[in-house]
Amino acid sequence: MESAGHQPVLIIVLLLISAFIAPLLYRRWRFLSGAVVLAALTGSFITALLLLSKSGASSSLSYHLGNWPPPWGIELIIDPLRVYMLLVVTGVSLWIFIYALGDLKHELHNDVIGWYYSLYAVLVASMSAITLTNDLFNLFVLMEICAITACAIITIKDQRECLEAGFKYLIMSAMGTGCFLLGVAMIYMVTGYLNYSFIQSELSLALTDYPLNIFTAAALFIVAFGTKAALFPLHVWLPDAHAAAPSPSSAMLSGLVIKIYAFALFMIFYRVFPRSLLDTIPLNEIILWLGAMGVMFGSIYAMLQTDLKKMLAYSSISQIAFIFMGIGLDQPLALTGGLYHIMVHAFTKSTLFMSAGAIIYSTGVRRISDLGGIGKVLPLPLFAFTIGSASMIGLPGTGGLISKWYLALGTLETGRILFLLVILASSLLNAIYYMPIVINAFMSGEEFKEKVKIVPLSMQVTLAAGMILVVISGIFSRQVIIFFEQALTSLY
Amino acid sequence: MEIISRLTENYFYLVAVILFVIGMHTMLTHSNMIKKVIAMNIMDSSVFLLFVAIGYRHGAQAPIIREGVDIVYANPLPGALIVTGIVVAVSVTAYALSIIVKIQRSYETVDCDEICELRSED
Amino acid sequence: MDKATVIIMMVVIVTLPIIMTPVLMYVCRFSDRLRNGLAVLTAATTFILTLMLYPFIRDGGVIQQSIFEILPDLEISIHLDILSFSLAALSSFVWLLCAIYSIDYMAKEHACSRYYPVLIFTLGACQGIFFAGDLFSLFVFFELMSIIAYILIIHEQTEEALKAGYKYLVMTIIGGLALFFGVIIIFEIGGTVSLGVGVIVSESSMLGLVAFICFLIGFGMKAGMFPLHVWLPDAHPVAPSPASALLSGIMLKTGAYGLFRVFFHVFSVDLLRSSGWNVILAVLAVITILLGSAVALTQSDIKRRLAYSSISQLGYILLGLSILNFNAITGATFHIFSHAFMKSTLFLAAGAIIWKTGIRNVNEMKGLGRLMPVTMGCFSLAALAMIGIPPLNGFLSKWTLALGALDAGLPGYVLVLLISSLLNALYYLPIIIPAFFEHPEGEENSHEGDDEKHEVQFKIKEATPLMLSAIAILALCTIIFGLTPNNIVFSLSRLTAQYLLGGGSF
Repeated sequence: MESAGHQPVLIIVLLLISAFIAPLLYRRWRFLSGAVVLAALTGSFITALLLLSKSGASSSLSYHLGNWPPPWGIELIIDPLRVYMLLVVTGVSLWIFIYALGDLKHELHNDVIGWYYSLYAVLVASMSAITLTNDLFNLFVLMEICAITACAIITIKDQRECLEAGFKYLIMSAMGTGCFLLGVAMIYMVTGYLNYSFIQSELSLALTDYPLNIFTAAALFIVAFGTKAALFPLHVWLPDAHAAAPSPSSAMLSGLVIKIYAFALFMIFYRVFPRSLLDTIPLNEIILWLGAMGVMFGSIYAMLQTDLKKMLAYSSISQIAFIFMGIGLDQPLALTGGLYHIMVHAFTKSTLFMSAGAIIYSTGVRRISDLGGIGKVLPLPLFAFTIGSASMIGLPGTGGLISKWYLALGTLETGRILFLLVILASSLLNAIYYMPIVINAFMSGEEFKEKVKIVPLSMQVTLAAGMILVVISGIFSRQVIIFFEQALTSLY
Repeated sequence: MEIISRLTENYFYLVAVILFVIGMHTMLTHSNMIKKVIAMNIMDSSVFLLFVAIGYRHGAQAPIIREGVDIVYANPLPGALIVTGIVVAVSVTAYALSIIVKIQRSYETVDCDEICELRSED
Repeated sequence: MDKATVIIMMVVIVTLPIIMTPVLMYVCRFSDRLRNGLAVLTAATTFILTLMLYPFIRDGGVIQQSIFEILPDLEISIHLDILSFSLAALSSFVWLLCAIYSIDYMAKEHACSRYYPVLIFTLGACQGIFFAGDLFSLFVFFELMSIIAYILIIHEQTEEALKAGYKYLVMTIIGGLALFFGVIIIFEIGGTVSLGVGVIVSESSMLGLVAFICFLIGFGMKAGMFPLHVWLPDAHPVAPSPASALLSGIMLKTGAYGLFRVFFHVFSVDLLRSSGWNVILAVLAVITILLGSAVALTQSDIKRRLAYSSISQLGYILLGLSILNFNAITGATFHIFSHAFMKSTLFLAAGAIIWKTGIRNVNEMKGLGRLMPVTMGCFSLAALAMIGIPPLNGFLSKWTLALGALDAGLPGYVLVLLISSLLNALYYLPIIIPAFFEHPEGEENSHEGDDEKHEVQFKIKEATPLMLSAIAILALCTIIFGLTPNNIVFSLSRLTAQYLLGGGSF
């Protein structure tokens, strides 16, 4: 592996520096504070793009933090899949941040916005680091940072629902990280390494001597990441947390944070566990079934909701389960679908939460039944909502269809039609709870009665960008898929 | 018989697991938020103990290498990691407690069940 | 005409209406007349461009061209053969007339600035379906058209319309998912979904059967096949009349078109015959024919009656398709044309009646023939064609279908056709006979006793000339393309059948 220069760590350092500066600047020059974080996010996105051009679709680079070689030091790895995830993380968070610039003034107390910027930057930094890290203990620390900052961007809103939801989230994720750390201890016990690559080569030997340790660790990892990524039935914290949070936070949490953990689990399955372990115990099978149940139950719960953001949150549970199904099917096509869905759902759900945020911003309405005729007064947010819904249902021309296509191909390739039916049924259920909102908003003859504030420009721009992203991910997907095909060959 | 001898040999693992289960059980079942936070700490501590125990070797000394002296020393890495782990756990605890203070101010209780009742009244 | 020109023209035919949609939306702000003119102009251009493909088709040209790759091995591509050409020409023709008709019809309606762009957009999507070069593009355009057509259906935005529209939308989504399922299975079995490779599946398998049934569900839903027809009788009547005409006249046919493609380009004809899968379609088609005709009898709302009639007529097409021999396929293809002309005439005429008099109940239509002689005349002509009176086109298609059934040694199907024709007569004649030979209600008393006066009393309250011209042109088509020499539509149908059964050549 060749050296990567200092770019990998630059992403994280840039964001952390901006996180320190932002609240300081906010006391004097409010405008600058946002601009600094914006610049850092842009910088990290550009750096991620540079990394992509460096690593390409097949090679991988390694960066030794503090120049300590592995297995002693922390290693950051830049391989195609990680770069993809890094691009999604930095790109989507940049996009959501622009939205947040407009939306936060209304959702938060004026004094804390500077802190929000800071937390946001740390959150993005921790997520970028989670994608890049090649060290289990480092992953633990980053997961805790991610959990604290993710909770903090919920509880920063001074409402008691937010506090309660944030606390629930914190406790659940503390349990998750506790399980994770115990699992790391188990692995460390038998291998003596914390570096992914070293563990992987060591585990296949250790598997014969200490199978129980490794099985326990695998189970603990599933619980840990299942909790963090809201995999059914460990999803209980998600609806409250995502629904109560300020809208940019909801977009961030549903759009990226839960997916980071799904991605981390994917990395553990394919970069830490040797192939022989996945063949010995049916880990993928467990994930597959939990995913399938999550897909169904998430959709069914979502149908029962009356609050717009709660509905979106439950829908996230079903969508994240799609990604897990991709991992569970353990097949390149299905993995392609699952990984692509990470991006598609990041675009889609963020767009949906943003449009919900715009609705709440300008009218204060949260109940689904009160949205009749709102499409005439807020055309852009509702249009964005429509496009997002279409992608959730998986209509042609949106990214949802592409990921569904590959997941479905994966189910067929493995000969498991049952799961294809689950995918189709969930699309139908999605249609049943998303469509009435759209219809009601545009087509019902009702007049919308509430007072309407004008949506700020930054929010409008991001909403429009969201629509475009959702559509682009549905049309110009070929390159990404080919990229995956090449990248995934290294796993099998 | 063999299993008992194994357990007694590795009693520190057993302790860690028992502590972990106690912590997890309390965290999930008790409704008092402070107790949840304490349980969280018990859970974390159990893992820390386990980690440190892994690095222990019988009759080992502190890992300080001197020229020419060949000694058996304990694995330093788990210790180093656990220091980090403790820092993380402390910050999570501090953050959790600060939320509890705010929750107490707005709900005037730190009991999850009571908060649920209050919320259902809204 | 060389290939490149044809490809460019096809792309233009599909994209022009879609590009014009935002233009129309923008133009709405300034002038209604400009908008209407532009809508008609777009439809006309599309029609003319489509017709210009004819020389290429006449020479037996077939085109398969990939336009844009969405995924590896999966692309948006175009395919032109005689079947696509026939249907594309038909649809743009009817669309043009409906657009002309809409100008006056919709003048009274609200939200025209939504109606016209959507009308034109669906034209583009519809042409896209007919020109789609693989199942995936077909699926994409099919979904696009179905979902956008929702806006046409609920145009009135009444409670009833919204309810019907919701039913339509849910059924569309179910159909779309079934199609998705079918397409993906075909992709899995054959590694391609292109229509240009001849036959993709030629061996019987469980998965193949599942795919076949999925296609039946997906396309059959659109074509109003039993038992997936439930949305149709609700959705068609609530739409504005020109939209109903298009829904019944053209959009239903996209389902039939899809099944044509599935029957001839996805599964091999031999496979369908030997495995007997076509019998599934035949059984459903027979039920659809009889059920549609029988239920139409019980309807008193004219548009509902017409909608049920559409169900039974689509049954003919499906029946012809399931018989799978030359005459039957010719009949089925020809009936696509015939039914488009007849049903569009009927819906437009019914629309004119409703527009002018507000009468929707068939029992109140007594004496209407005196009030609106042209409209009612066209209505009667089309209704007679429906019943199958020679020399109108309905007779020709039924005749050919019956020939096909006899060729296949299935005289039972002829009986079904006869029964259905009888039922057609039973529900159309009670509309047209009283319309001409009875007095309008309420006038009977005042004019009692002076019969001669009645004969000349034409208090004509006709629809506007534009509307009438659209209706009349369509009605004329039922005669022109009936039992006449040089019936170009019929020869096109024969060529199509030859092409489809011959596996790609005339």
